[in-house]
Amino acid sequence: MRFRTLSLLLAGLVLPLALACSGSSSSSGTAPTSAKSLSYNDPSGTGWRLVKDPSSTSTRIVLDLVGPSGTMTRGVGFNLQAPPKVKFGVFANGLPINDTGVYKLLSAAADPTEPVAIIGGVKTGNLLSVGIYQKDRVQPAQDSGSPLCQIAIVLDPAQGISAGDALQLQVVKAKAIPEDIGAVSDDLWTLNKKMRMADITVATGSLSAN
Amino acid sequence: MHRPPLRHVTALALGLVTGSVPMAARTAPILTRAQQAHQASLQPTRVAQARANLLSQKGRLGLGGRDGFTALSAFTNDQGQAIVRLNQTYDGYRVWGTQAIAHVSPDGAVETLTGGLKAGIDLQAGPRLSGQQAIEAALRNLAPQGLMPDAPAVERVVFPASYLGGLATTMDPKTGSPVLDRKLTVHAKLAAPYVWAYEVRVSVHNAQDGAHELVYLIDGATGNILRVNDLAQHLAAPTPVQGTGNGYYRGAVTLNTSQMADGTYALYDTTRGTLPNPNLQYFTPDGSGWSATGLQVWWEQHSPSGVSTWNSYLFQSNPANTWGDGLPWAPSWGLENGANGQTAGVDAMSAMTTTWDFYKNVFGRNGLDGQGTSVFAQVLSTGPVNIDDAWWSIGGQGVYLGAGSYPTNPSGRLSMTDLDIVAHELTHGVTSPSYAQAWVSGAGYEEAGLNEATSDFFAQMVKAYTTRPTGADSAIPNTGADWEEGAGVNRGTPIRWLDHPSKDQRSVDGWFDGIQYMDGHYSSGPLNRALYFLAQGSSSTQGDDHYSPFLPSGMTGIGNDSAARIWYKTVTENLLADGTGSITYADARAAAITSADSLYGAGSPEEAAVESAFAAANVGEAPGQAPRVLVQFASWRNGDYIETNHFTAYGNRQIFPMGETVFPRISVQNTADTSVTWSLGGPSMYNGADYSVEEGGVINADGSWTTPDRMSWHSITATSHADPNQLAEGRVFLINLDTDMDLEQDAVDMAGVAYSWYLSNALNPAHSVLEAPWVDDTDVSFFVDAMRSTWPVK
Repeated sequence: MRFRTLSLLLAGLVLPLALACSGSSSSSGTAPTSAKSLSYNDPSGTGWRLVKDPSSTSTRIVLDLVGPSGTMTRGVGFNLQAPPKVKFGVFANGLPINDTGVYKLLSAAADPTEPVAIIGGVKTGNLLSVGIYQKDRVQPAQDSGSPLCQIAIVLDPAQGISAGDALQLQVVKAKAIPEDIGAVSDDLWTLNKKMRMADITVATGSLSAN
Repeated sequence: MHRPPLRHVTALALGLVTGSVPMAARTAPILTRAQQAHQASLQPTRVAQARANLLSQKGRLGLGGRDGFTALSAFTNDQGQAIVRLNQTYDGYRVWGTQAIAHVSPDGAVETLTGGLKAGIDLQAGPRLSGQQAIEAALRNLAPQGLMPDAPAVERVVFPASYLGGLATTMDPKTGSPVLDRKLTVHAKLAAPYVWAYEVRVSVHNAQDGAHELVYLIDGATGNILRVNDLAQHLAAPTPVQGTGNGYYRGAVTLNTSQMADGTYALYDTTRGTLPNPNLQYFTPDGSGWSATGLQVWWEQHSPSGVSTWNSYLFQSNPANTWGDGLPWAPSWGLENGANGQTAGVDAMSAMTTTWDFYKNVFGRNGLDGQGTSVFAQVLSTGPVNIDDAWWSIGGQGVYLGAGSYPTNPSGRLSMTDLDIVAHELTHGVTSPSYAQAWVSGAGYEEAGLNEATSDFFAQMVKAYTTRPTGADSAIPNTGADWEEGAGVNRGTPIRWLDHPSKDQRSVDGWFDGIQYMDGHYSSGPLNRALYFLAQGSSSTQGDDHYSPFLPSGMTGIGNDSAARIWYKTVTENLLADGTGSITYADARAAAITSADSLYGAGSPEEAAVESAFAAANVGEAPGQAPRVLVQFASWRNGDYIETNHFTAYGNRQIFPMGETVFPRISVQNTADTSVTWSLGGPSMYNGADYSVEEGGVINADGSWTTPDRMSWHSITATSHADPNQLAEGRVFLINLDTDMDLEQDAVDMAGVAYSWYLSNALNPAHSVLEAPWVDDTDVSFFVDAMRSTWPVK
């Protein structure tokens, strides 16, 4: 992550230096225009992916995490690296992740005051880290083929983003809780092997500023 | 008389609080004697007013249509107020152990304290047994062998199950060992919270049975004994006499002692304390004339090597009524009741009687609990109390005084029987007369500091009282206090300086957010200083011991007597503790203002002095002072899962991941410059009993904190840039979020918490972020809190 962040920063530095050294007149160049909106094209494939949600606007792209249809899971978490010029949006719950209602976040005998296992934050370097999980193993695993949660990417004019900028998104870590996490009646050896996260690969589409 | 060390008698604790109406500020001057007599003549009317007022409050108190009140006792104080104590009734029958207090002013205004009432009584029908059958049940237990002077008396009552009796012990006259007292031990259990019962009072005075006045509570349905009290009176009462004492601290003194039945003498003052001590009454009189009433001094027995036997004895069997050798305790274990051991007893008895008389003569208080209950002191203690410490026992209504480890321990203390020590401990008996009315101590509550300071302050007032002119028994001289606690027992160096608490390098001079984490003996500093300033004033000269940066202009004191009256009224009438530790410094200030208003009038110089004195200790503002900078750890929980389940007693605490760079949350008010300087650790780490808290990590240039890689409580402090005198100490708990052990702490780690939910470590791998042997909603909540605090969306 750090290497990638440094690379992007260096690219940003090189361009202005090259322009300054050219010595040519500015009559043939055009000043970059500030971006007014964002656009996102969904990735191809039917695996784990981030797809644009219809609730998106021109300045706030809401992305749904969707998994392979028929794959049963109990929760998922991932870290998404974004360039520094975009911001992550917040939902009504105050978090950068929104529950779409697929996972059962409360225990079967729900206590309205119990804490739910959904969390997100933005770590240093504009790394979004989010997760949403069922904590009650009595609840059945859920089909991952529909939107499991949402995140949002927001155009922030204060960041100086230019029209035409390509903004690369990359999921650098992603894991899901599989359907079979063992039963409390299993022997410890079996349980120890089953209580593991499954690595997944999440595809991202192309994000650009306009 | 011989007994094991005194024990708590929890059955005597009062019942659940059902509610109270705080006393409002009502100015009431001291009346002339003629005016007082007139007001006293109106007392019957006031009693009726008190009862009517309480009846009108039944709905608010949770009482029903079958509940009522009946007057128990009343007196008219020197302000003309009728102080009426009432019992709660149910269908007209007394509810055993309940009480309300009403203050009825001359203008008819009524204020009430109702903490001892019982809500929710729901009894059907009546007792199955008759009163006569209850008497027979009591007599079957007593099995009197001789004649009874009076017929047993019986009264039908409602009995709360919380007052059930328990085990009682007595001394076996053959072996001298404590044994179960089968007469007084109660085995009954109750399934219901209230039952119909009978109170049966039985007296026996004869050679076969001895002298007993027993109160039995008999279950109205089963005839089982629910509780027994022995209010023993004795045929052979000791004779009050005066003896000569040679104390180490008090020098040559005249003592109230007793000549016992065998003609010898005891450190036993029957002229003070007319109600039996709740602990001592469980011990069977031995025919010497001893009873559970009166002030009395006991000594703790040790083996020759100094190991406590956990037995103790009354100082008695002295053929001459001269006590002590005036020398400090030179450990001669096994000879505790010799002349050298008696010296500690002399100092303790003298200090007890002085303190008792102080409260009686200055405030009209009958004993520590206001009821005249007997009090004991146990000296040369090493078993129930640390050898260099002293302790007030609420359940036992007595004080344990350490023997002192010096000179065996060169840095130890002398016998803990000096006047200020004893008066301090006995004052705990004034402020905490029962468990239900107890002020908390230790660490974790601001109330603990208020508690200790109150005892420190009145110990100074007792010192001053000893210098009063002859005949001036009702006032406290303005001199005579040295404002040092424990200098005598600590061989010259005070344990605490009331006028400048921080001189001990542990206490603080001013309040700050987080003071509750300190041990009460050190968080007492601000109140000790405020009360000193209230009595004696403060200086406007920087560097002076009596200068306060919170009140640079200084103030004039109102004198010991007025200050003591305001604070006494505060702690006995306007700041009643309930054992929950909820009283804060801000509460204390408000209650003291109410007291000053009542005694001297709203807007009086005394009220202004109270405000200034508290302001000088950084509590509120003095008249005309602008609100000062307030630094506080932000209160954001508002009843969330963590507060509800974990931290209600300790306020808001922050939770962060270990080994990460975080920004603790802080609130700075009353200034445009809200910046602070962060520092590791805090005052409580050097002044508290909680040594499990650590300091660690690095404070960075931008004010962030790189937390250490260690799961534990950590202390951090924020100091205001605008006013460096203002700071706040907070407690932070660091947890390990890295449940998948990939050396990153992120949201993916919460999966480990989720799939381990409600599994124990017996089903590995369970991923408690608290390293607990199980995972539950606490882990979920802590994880969410730590991550949201550390990586918010900006």
